[in-house]
Amino acid sequence: MHHAHIDKFAYQDSLVHRLDSRVKFIVVLVFTALVISLPRTSVSILACYAVGPFAILVLAGIPLRFVFKHILLVSPFVLILALSCPLYDKTPVSVAFGPFLWNTSVGWMRCFTILGKFTVTMLALIALVSTTRFNDLLTGLQRLGLPRLLVIQLGFLYRYIFVLIDRAHRILRARAGRRLRRLKFRAELKIAASMLGSLFIRSIDAAEHINIAMQARGFDGNWRTLSKLQIRRCDLFFLLAAVVFMLGIYFFLKPILL
Amino acid sequence: MPKAIEIESFSYKYPDGTTALSDITLSVEAGARLALIGPNGAGKSTLLLAMAGFVKGTGKVLIDGLEINKENLKKIRTRLGCCLENPDDQLFMPTLFDDVAFGPLNMGLEAEQVKQRVAEALQTVGLAELGDKAPHHLSAGQKRAAAIATILSMAPKIITLDEPDGSLDPRNRNNLVKLLKDLPQTLIIATCNMNFAAAIANRAALLDKGRIIAHDDARELMSNSELMTEHGLEVPHTIWQGDM
Repeated sequence: MHHAHIDKFAYQDSLVHRLDSRVKFIVVLVFTALVISLPRTSVSILACYAVGPFAILVLAGIPLRFVFKHILLVSPFVLILALSCPLYDKTPVSVAFGPFLWNTSVGWMRCFTILGKFTVTMLALIALVSTTRFNDLLTGLQRLGLPRLLVIQLGFLYRYIFVLIDRAHRILRARAGRRLRRLKFRAELKIAASMLGSLFIRSIDAAEHINIAMQARGFDGNWRTLSKLQIRRCDLFFLLAAVVFMLGIYFFLKPILL
Repeated sequence: MPKAIEIESFSYKYPDGTTALSDITLSVEAGARLALIGPNGAGKSTLLLAMAGFVKGTGKVLIDGLEINKENLKKIRTRLGCCLENPDDQLFMPTLFDDVAFGPLNMGLEAEQVKQRVAEALQTVGLAELGDKAPHHLSAGQKRAAAIATILSMAPKIITLDEPDGSLDPRNRNNLVKLLKDLPQTLIIATCNMNFAAAIANRAALLDKGRIIAHDDARELMSNSELMTEHGLEVPHTIWQGDM
């Protein structure tokens, strides 16, 4: 079955792809923290911050259509939150953007800030996962001190989420193939519970088999991998450029634009 | 000939009390390619698990001269590679390279040796270029080959394979036959596909209702149409056409 893998461009080769996963992860983490910490009146600063991940995505050759499609896919939750802001805060406020000036409410400002922050942080996150192989990211996280057990769990999640989705699709298809009439809500609920139960039992069964496969290959509780991570000069240069970009906007552009 | 596997009066019951294997006595010579044939639910998979020490019953199981017990288990698992029915269970790491390297790393080999073993194993199964791929990006045939590579990298003396031809198209099945026939290891292949078994095996053991019914030369056993039909099996087309 075909899946829309978010990391499908992570296997390409570019200058950005070759950067160390730890450096990219730290930059994205700091970038996200900075963007989130911006005040609600900072829509123009957000536009400046968006340039960073946007440039990385272009440099790495990630199609922007793919990027925006994935932002849209996860946007409904944020949209609900953002669009509810104008409903509960209608305090009037005047907004200036360059030579333009108009009146609006604090609720609408908050709505635009939430959407802006969401889009910019998602751009950075997609730039990270589209230019870093998940395995390198996991190794990087482990090297950065994330608990080993959590890294293993993340690895299994990434490996088996698609297998689980496939199984769920098959169960749903089998159900659809035999659904000849509309049932009452309670009956539908009962069937859905059975389907979930079946998926759960199959997952346990698969977990047992995976455990056998691991033990058969000598697994004794210690997770061993051949780490290929190495900080090079280009990684340090990227880190320096990212720091200059982020702090430059924060300390020099922010006082001018706000 | 030295014995790769010796099983004496082995019996096993499932936790609910159902008999899975009953009084199994089987001996496999080193270098043999044994097809473990039998209908669904005959106990083939359970017997393979017993050979790898995952099922503990009564009786004796010796792998390459070592009796299965707690002390020998680690050694046994470097000598006997066990390939499960579903490749998705066998391939659990984020990339194919890491999956194939998993066994050698647990054996305590040095990084360079591990890399060499991975390269050789992937080369043998024809996936040399795909080491960086994630398992969910592989086709069914590639997953099957990759699952075998995860075992080959440990260089075991014996390999057990549970329904290795499952969900493979004819081309991939033929490739698998070619690959398995070229392997120098002792092979134990559990299958319901008689043509597949006949194409690879030189020995065969018929298992039904948890018992060994017959153990003989593969061609001899599988050409006995009366015996095969009685146990829900069929004479392979290759043998059938050869007799015509």
